[in-house]
Amino acid sequence: MEKMWTGSIIHVYLSHDTINTMAEKRTMTLNLTDAEMAALEDLAAKKDLNKTVVIRQALRLYQMVDQRLREGKKVFIEDEMTKSKSELMLL
Amino acid sequence: MEKSDIFLQRSITREDVDAELWDDISDAHLDLWRSTWVPMIDQTRRRLISAAVPRHKWPQDLHWNWGEKTDWSRPLLSLQRFAITCGGALQGLMLVNLTKLTSRLPSQKGKDLAYIEFVSTAPWNRPEISGVQQFQGIGINMVRAAIELSRNEGFHGRIGLHSLGQAARFYSDTCGMSALGPDRHYDDLDYFEMTPAQADAFCHPA
Repeated sequence: MEKMWTGSIIHVYLSHDTINTMAEKRTMTLNLTDAEMAALEDLAAKKDLNKTVVIRQALRLYQMVDQRLREGKKVFIEDEMTKSKSELMLL
Repeated sequence: MEKSDIFLQRSITREDVDAELWDDISDAHLDLWRSTWVPMIDQTRRRLISAAVPRHKWPQDLHWNWGEKTDWSRPLLSLQRFAITCGGALQGLMLVNLTKLTSRLPSQKGKDLAYIEFVSTAPWNRPEISGVQQFQGIGINMVRAAIELSRNEGFHGRIGLHSLGQAARFYSDTCGMSALGPDRHYDDLDYFEMTPAQADAFCHPA
């Protein structure tokens, strides 16, 4: 039996021009599972952002991390208390 | 690239002067930086060396290379550049990062902000370099631009920055930002933040 998709759909506005603040935006439809939508809504609430902004921030961060790794740099997450570091691996 | 009409103030006469805020640093802006700022900065560096002024007393941004900063940041979505021109001359440059830090103020903790990575004013607007100040208002217009960027990106006007020692009073007294003290992770530079309420007060003073 064909499984029914039970996720959610949101519309995301992405900048047409990555340089210009006031840049024209393009719309895309994003299909998310219930769990993904719950995570997105949770982040939006915690961060005082709307869902589109959360996704745009995620894209910026992902691109920045990818750029740093391609420059031969390493990205670490440090435990503030113990000072132990774990390397963020993106394969 | 978009531009907004702004005003600067001519220091001697206190008259308002039309100026432009650009939401990017263009190649033309970089040409102006190379041809007009760099020679004055190099001259200042030579003067400081010959006068045996200790390095910790030099203007702390003398070594910033805006060509490198612009080239590196252009492909990255997190980084937004700004320039201010007036009378065909380049008056200020700024680089803002949208993903570098989240707020540290207890009332805003963990929320996103626009972080001012670098901001510079032209040498002829800085008495410590040129002995004169042609225009005032570059810093205020740049802070306002960072606030507008923060609002446009859904961050409600929150901004943050680490201040060079020579500029700390400007951010606390003139801009009304909250001082969070020296940051041991960032060369002990003083860290400042502006909340949404502080941003409103800065943009619409009573």
